[in-house]
Amino acid sequence: MNKTMNAASLALALGAAMTMAAAPIHAASHGGAMKAETEKCFGVALKGKNDCKAGAGTTCAGTSKMDHQGNAWSMVPKGTCEKTMSKTSPTGNGQLMEFKEKKA
Amino acid sequence: MNARQAFAEALLAAEPVCPPGLTTWNGSAPEKRFAVYRNTVTVGLVDALADSFPVTLQLVGEDFFRAMAREFARQTPPRSPVLALYGDGFAEFIEAFPPVAALSYLADLARLELMRVQAWHAADAAAVAAETIVRLLDDAAALPQARFTLHPSVRLLRSRHAVVSLWAAHQSEAPSSSLATIDTASAESALVLRNGLEVEISVIDEAAAIFIELLQQGRAFGLAAGQALDADSRFDLAQTLGLLVRSGALADLTISGSTTS
Repeated sequence: MNKTMNAASLALALGAAMTMAAAPIHAASHGGAMKAETEKCFGVALKGKNDCKAGAGTTCAGTSKMDHQGNAWSMVPKGTCEKTMSKTSPTGNGQLMEFKEKKA
Repeated sequence: MNARQAFAEALLAAEPVCPPGLTTWNGSAPEKRFAVYRNTVTVGLVDALADSFPVTLQLVGEDFFRAMAREFARQTPPRSPVLALYGDGFAEFIEAFPPVAALSYLADLARLELMRVQAWHAADAAAVAAETIVRLLDDAAALPQARFTLHPSVRLLRSRHAVVSLWAAHQSEAPSSSLATIDTASAESALVLRNGLEVEISVIDEAAAIFIELLQQGRAFGLAAGQALDADSRFDLAQTLGLLVRSGALADLTISGSTTS
């Protein structure tokens, strides 16, 4: 623990980093297509589909919709997780009954 | 409790109860007018979360997400009028929310999405000049004591799940095609930062994440590199530094005081 890297190694790495940074790097999202295969590949940054997505509050939200008083305790996630989950566990149908009564 | 507190509490209460003493200017029913306002508040907050956590929403579906977000909004209303940054604590809420217990990666995915929004709104900082680094290289003996100042947008996530791959898959029009190939149980670390006007998310090795985290905490260069190497002998310092330099993440590099090592 608390090992320190020696000055020569640090200088070497920093020098190499400067050279690397100067070299051109292939664009991360050419053609706009994003790949899901994110191998351990340094320097290929992923960008969001919608670049103007700066979080909430950019529109006048909340004026027209009706709150459906949805109760998450009695619902099951029904999104893309169903396609992702295959390996781990079922969608959690079993939890439905168990947690319904917890909602006082 | 004063009238203002009562009003605020009734807005987010589980049951629609009109705060006492409310009157309307034109004689219409106060309960109805209040219900409209209550709805607007709830929907506004839920919409805000839906905007900031689009992939979390896609994963659980809109109905479920809105119901979950509503529970969160009740418990944790925003403390700032800046809705763009609303969502602090949402990941922790998800972590403890039994209906999504089976989706163990969901909380980290929400963390990643919040980091993205935070990075977007973080302050600007110019990248350190190459000459500054070159000058430091001339004085290599002092390098182990060098301190880095990172760009204010830099965020790091170390997850036990493949949340970056999951997030990336949802940036395409048809996420389902690539989802099946993602092993959610494989660990991934992410570097989130804003480079110019764009938020970039990079998958990095955990050792690299440890290194950058230590730099961010103000630890010395030599110590941070040493600890990262301790964590994983394959830690590639040059690559990691290269990534930081290239993405403008290094705002400053100084050797404080006199060189002591």
